[in-house]
Amino acid sequence: MAAPHDRSQDRADRAAVRDTYDQIATHFAKTREYAWPEVESFVTDTVGERARTDAEMTPVGLDLGCGNCRHAELLAETGHFDHVLGVDVSRGLLETGRKRAQEREFDVDLCQGDAAELPLAANTISAAVYVATLHHLPTQAARQASLGELGRVLAPSPDGRALVSAWSTAHDRFDEDEIDTADGTGFDTTIEWTLPGGETVDRFYHIYTPEEFEQDLAASSLEVLEWEVSSGNCYAVVAGAAESDA
Amino acid sequence: MKESLLDILRCPLDKHELELEDATYDESADGDSDDSNGEDAAEVVDGTLVCAECGERYPVEDGIPNLLPPDMREESPA
Repeated sequence: MAAPHDRSQDRADRAAVRDTYDQIATHFAKTREYAWPEVESFVTDTVGERARTDAEMTPVGLDLGCGNCRHAELLAETGHFDHVLGVDVSRGLLETGRKRAQEREFDVDLCQGDAAELPLAANTISAAVYVATLHHLPTQAARQASLGELGRVLAPSPDGRALVSAWSTAHDRFDEDEIDTADGTGFDTTIEWTLPGGETVDRFYHIYTPEEFEQDLAASSLEVLEWEVSSGNCYAVVAGAAESDA
Repeated sequence: MKESLLDILRCPLDKHELELEDATYDESADGDSDDSNGEDAAEVVDGTLVCAECGERYPVEDGIPNLLPPDMREESPA
């Protein structure tokens, strides 16, 4: 569990992230047309074979931080799931996901929710993608809490599988000098989003060092199975926490 | 929102089950269904999800449940 912290301030910070994405949702979604190849590989190699390993369980897929649902679409296309759930903090982004699902005729169940306090039952998700979202949570406490939440909702090991990614200091655009080499942690920054009219909107990012990403995962209930840095992002394939009665 | 999602949706605060109140359904979603049916395919358009434990109420608006923690629900002051 994360150490006690100022919950209401944390939530206010995360609500601000929500407001940012509500503001840029439509334009943002247009620039996120294609699924990432790393996610395609995970869905092909890992999800397909595992989705029905437990016949007792209703197979449910989760795209956490679904945005326009480009990755929920990959999960839906496998045909392995009774439900594919798209969760995002931004209603504006969820609307872009709904539109994409209608246009491309795939089935996704949408839910507005917070990655650090997931509105889902324990041990219910057979496969999840949590891609390019973790780095938007404004505090370490919230980021660690969200990894714990992912562990809670994933089906108990060895059944549940998830792909987690975050932006990394290994990306070309970041200067090595910005990294606090003393403790190996990354840094917080804002990246401007420019709307078609020229207006800019700041977006919060925590840029992980690969070491910090690995440490946060190790400190969570998740079990890390595979790990790589690809195209400037850290990726980990993880299994759910051991069985709990939460 | 499919009514069957209630099997996996929970209160974000205490993770207890949610009960659906004041639901209106999409009449076109599954043919000639009416408001009284409880079939899994029933598509909830509007309503309220109420935590069976803490009583917190979460809106379903235009088919999408808002299960953000309540103090993240309102737009924050600019």
